[in-house]
Amino acid sequence: MTSVHKGPLAPLSPVLLAGIVAGPLPHKALQPLLNLAIKQMHTLHPDVFERMTSVNSPRFLIDPVDLPFSFIMDTHPDCPSLEIIQDFQNEEELYVQANVRGPLVLLIALLEGKIDGDALFFSRDLIVEGDTEAVLALRNAVDGADINVHNDLLSLFGPLGKPADAIAQLAGKVFNRFAKDLDRVSQATLAPLQRKCDAQAHTIAELEETVASLKKQVRRRAGKTA
Amino acid sequence: MKTEKLELVCPAGTPAALRAAVDAGADTIYCGFRDATNARNFPGLNFSREELGDGIEYARSKASKVLVALNTYPEAGHPESWHRAVEDAADLGAHALIMADIGLLAYAAEKRPDTRRHLSVQASASNPDAIAYYQRTFDVKRVVLPRVLTVPEIAALNKEINVETEVFVFGGLCVMAEGRCSLSSYATGQSPNMNGVCSPASHVRYEDKGNKLVSKLGDFTINQFSQTEAAGYPTLCKGRFVTQDKPSYLFEDPTSLNAAQFLPELMEAGVTALKIEGRQRGKAYIAQVVSAFRKAADAAANGQPVPPLGLENMSEGQKETTGAYNKRWQ
Repeated sequence: MTSVHKGPLAPLSPVLLAGIVAGPLPHKALQPLLNLAIKQMHTLHPDVFERMTSVNSPRFLIDPVDLPFSFIMDTHPDCPSLEIIQDFQNEEELYVQANVRGPLVLLIALLEGKIDGDALFFSRDLIVEGDTEAVLALRNAVDGADINVHNDLLSLFGPLGKPADAIAQLAGKVFNRFAKDLDRVSQATLAPLQRKCDAQAHTIAELEETVASLKKQVRRRAGKTA
Repeated sequence: MKTEKLELVCPAGTPAALRAAVDAGADTIYCGFRDATNARNFPGLNFSREELGDGIEYARSKASKVLVALNTYPEAGHPESWHRAVEDAADLGAHALIMADIGLLAYAAEKRPDTRRHLSVQASASNPDAIAYYQRTFDVKRVVLPRVLTVPEIAALNKEINVETEVFVFGGLCVMAEGRCSLSSYATGQSPNMNGVCSPASHVRYEDKGNKLVSKLGDFTINQFSQTEAAGYPTLCKGRFVTQDKPSYLFEDPTSLNAAQFLPELMEAGVTALKIEGRQRGKAYIAQVVSAFRKAADAAANGQPVPPLGLENMSEGQKETTGAYNKRWQ
């Protein structure tokens, strides 16, 4: 049986490459950082979790398609958590109410309200499955919270916030530059394939028209002979 | 009479979206309380009393106004929530109340006569007699017109009525008799007029099958999108149905209204205000769409051509239509 890819395709991005490099490392090493991040989010934006009580504080599978691991977010209003997971076989065993899948950069932009979730859904860059009401509630809650991942995490550094900010700014610039370069590489690599796909799509459209026309003729003849 | 400058009326589902709309240049923002009194009563959306008060203050500080939508129909025997909403919105300083129910309009006209009354699109008033009745009886100052009229029809209507008109220019499109559609009631048991949505999120399911995305509403499969197709909302009127062995959109395509190109004609037709749909959308949508229409409305007011808005990515199915404004059917 051929396995089919679910969710949006992972773009060729620095996140994808970083994920490949980090893949063999023990992913649980990231857990303390995630604990700090969710604690900080709870401290700075308690409204997000309070709003989620209207849909019984669900658990979500957050799946960045360009990373070799995923996250489970529990939106309990008093003790929310963000757990890293890898290589799960059965989603049912995760006891989540909904799944949200998309490239990491878009998921973060969504968290910060910099990008419209519906627009990502229309373009198929974001896939949600499961309890749609829970996902909608989460989207509305984070959208109203003015979350800024950069600033929120920097506030963890206290007096070292300024130098940490300088390092983060530099890293951001390098990341953006690298992302642009990779995008160009991706476009150049895919251009011949794209041309081939366009030609095939054109042929398929012509064939579909021919089939529709033939079906019409068959129906007409059947009508005459009836 | 020709309008000199069109008022831009923009949606807000959260305080953050309200601030985004004000900052992007909205003249007016419409929103609702976090309860059944407004037709976008979704989880995590809408305003508490305190949030609305702060929002009105913020809007005022930037010379914008706030309208409060109380556009559902009070339940028989339980009008208290709706009456309290009228009182609270007026006390908090709302510029106007948007209502559809004649009982609620009567209550607001009698108890809070100083707060303007706008007739919601949910009332589906689209002819001079109906509009004159609402004006005469409840002193309605503005009517939000259903999305079923052409520009010449709106111009003819404006000549015969004595109230302001507000028309939809961007966002979700409904070509049914608004406020009277029962498709979602049939599929989900929830009414778009009382629960505020054609596809209640509690009944929506998406299934990623790898080679196709399946959208369902209740027990009905509404659509199947191939990997290369842009997706749309799972509303029954925009479902893909198989007839004569061919799947197609029988009623409506998954697409959004964009009437930007008609702004000069709408001014000529005497329209007062332009409405952007989307209280359920995020603040990124609000910022981008409001900012684009601010430029478009200003260009139209200055007699300049309306610039391309580049909002296709914000549209359902990534497609746009001019809807009934350019109607070529009866």
